[in-house]
Amino acid sequence: MIISSLYIAWHYVVFNKVRTATLVACITLIAFLPMALQLVLTESERLLQSRAADTPLLLGVRGSALDLVMNSLYFDDEVPEILTMQAADEIGDTGLAYAIPLYVRFQARKQPVVGTTIDYFDYRNLRVAKGRMLALLGECVIGADVADEYGLEPGDSIVSSPETLFDLAGIYPLKMKISGILQRHHTSDDQAVFVDLKTAWIIEGLGHGHEELNKTQDKSVILKRSEDSVTANARLFQYTEITDENMDSFHFHGDTTIYPITAVMVVPNDAKAGTLLRGRYLENTQYQIVRPTDVIEGLLENIFRIKSVIDAVIAIVGLATILAIFLVFALSVRLRQRELTTIFKLGCSRMTAVRLILAEIVIIVLMSGIIGTGLLYVVQANTDTLVRILIFS
Amino acid sequence: MITAVLLLSCMVVSAADKFTVYSVNYPLAYFAERIGGEHIKVVFPLPSDVDPAFWEPDAEDIAGFQQADLILLNGAGYARWVKRVSLPRRKLVNTSAVFGQEYISVAETVTHQHGPGGEHSHAGTAFTTWLDFKQAIQQARAIQLALEKHQPEYADTFRRNFALLETDLECLDTDLKLLTAVNPKMLFIASHPVYQYFARRYNIHLQSVMWEPDVMPKEQQWNQLDRLLQKYPANWMIWEGEPHKQTVTKLQKVGLGSLVFDPCANRPTQGDFLSVMDENIKQLKQAYLKNK
Repeated sequence: MIISSLYIAWHYVVFNKVRTATLVACITLIAFLPMALQLVLTESERLLQSRAADTPLLLGVRGSALDLVMNSLYFDDEVPEILTMQAADEIGDTGLAYAIPLYVRFQARKQPVVGTTIDYFDYRNLRVAKGRMLALLGECVIGADVADEYGLEPGDSIVSSPETLFDLAGIYPLKMKISGILQRHHTSDDQAVFVDLKTAWIIEGLGHGHEELNKTQDKSVILKRSEDSVTANARLFQYTEITDENMDSFHFHGDTTIYPITAVMVVPNDAKAGTLLRGRYLENTQYQIVRPTDVIEGLLENIFRIKSVIDAVIAIVGLATILAIFLVFALSVRLRQRELTTIFKLGCSRMTAVRLILAEIVIIVLMSGIIGTGLLYVVQANTDTLVRILIFS
Repeated sequence: MITAVLLLSCMVVSAADKFTVYSVNYPLAYFAERIGGEHIKVVFPLPSDVDPAFWEPDAEDIAGFQQADLILLNGAGYARWVKRVSLPRRKLVNTSAVFGQEYISVAETVTHQHGPGGEHSHAGTAFTTWLDFKQAIQQARAIQLALEKHQPEYADTFRRNFALLETDLECLDTDLKLLTAVNPKMLFIASHPVYQYFARRYNIHLQSVMWEPDVMPKEQQWNQLDRLLQKYPANWMIWEGEPHKQTVTKLQKVGLGSLVFDPCANRPTQGDFLSVMDENIKQLKQAYLKNK
């Protein structure tokens, strides 16, 4: 009896393709959206919190703590206020912690270029899967996603992007040699290009390499020459790639302790040292020390506040949709009055008609369930990417 | 047999697990060996025939430094390669930082200007800091403190060993102070500009030329020396290494004696830092005795 009802109902829903498709789409969306949203939010919460929990303290210029955390932990392109290397030295001088400077400002092929020191890799437990760790000026190691996306291997090169498109008077892009590819870590590190801090300063133009002026044969680059001074003009060729041959010529001007960085990862010796450090910077008008977990909790609170609003909207839309579906079926019963009369004349009971309509509903809900589950499976398999696109970008 | 194998394997494991200290020059490696004793493994990975100040490491050498537990830097711009490589900041110890304000600047004659950075010169800093033995003591203390910080369980041993080393270096310092006080007006010429701190600490009058011990100077260099001697009548030339015999003979003709004061930047083929310095002082003593 049930099989017969399902058989007739199946043929009915197949015959009324448009109506069936509309109903299936409505039910699928209403069921899928809140569940998918929950999946994405749960994953984003996990990603945000785990990364934040792995970073004890961050030092930056007083201002937006969120910008500081998002830039330093997730390499967001919103650059916080710049501070100097002196701030990192001061942290080390306290003896309470060690400092890992970060300079996250530039990009290469739309991927963030993270200028830091070797300590970062030790602290984050990042190991090289292919090639070797960066060793020389101008070298970089890239995250697993960067390598996959652009098909890069150790020995290949990647070029830094100019900060602005029409930066005609700006510095030349730097061609960086890839010394290694990092093991996949399922964090923002997979999508970054890591260079030594000094290489990041060369990208900025604070360090450069060129032919020795007192040895150059090209007189057109000399603006002025005296006994103790040689002045070059803008024609002086600066190297855009650091090689074994020209490495010696690369140099930095001035005091590197005043060179820029975007943040300092502060790793205290113990919890007490961390508290002492935070206390010391409470009254500091220039710098702030933030605990990334606090900032991320604040961010998550906002996200979940937004989520509850979205949930309420979905609930109202869902209720309206269910009412609409009920109406569709009610109208459908009225439109099918003649069909039902024929069923009764054939000797079927009222229950048979009810069973037919229920079978149609079951089929439609089942189809929505299958499609919704499939979609949820796809979302679950790609939550990592979705979170990065929806939350971090 | 089994016991012996087990003992040997334990020794191999403990050697591999030892706190590893890398050094950029021999004096620091020597200080670390003296202070750390059996509790640390000191690595000075340079070949014996290169000047550590101008050594260029390859990626493999750098990987060794990156994996060290502690990296001893001389500071004062010594070992320029350090500025061109990626080293773990946390493990770096600038042993001369404490007297950084007293570095001696070496003026470079050529300055240049290009780009937005303005006029600048690449003036350097004198880097043979350990030839002032008071400074050497401070560098050794920096090593002791760094070792204590990383291995507090051996702090007492490190302090004891440092005290012994300090006494040795104090003796060298006193010897030189007493020696140079005999004739404070004696004039010296250095074959290379590496004795700035030495000259400052021990009140030695010193002018430098750029001569290599194993290369016979060119005529132009002899002419420059003649001009220098006219206004600066020195009696001795201090060499980093044993000079060419012909050079010594020719120098004698212009009234200049030769003596070797080896800065000992690289590991000596015989003896150690102290024995090399003792020999240096012995040579210097002869010069002072002859000019008494």
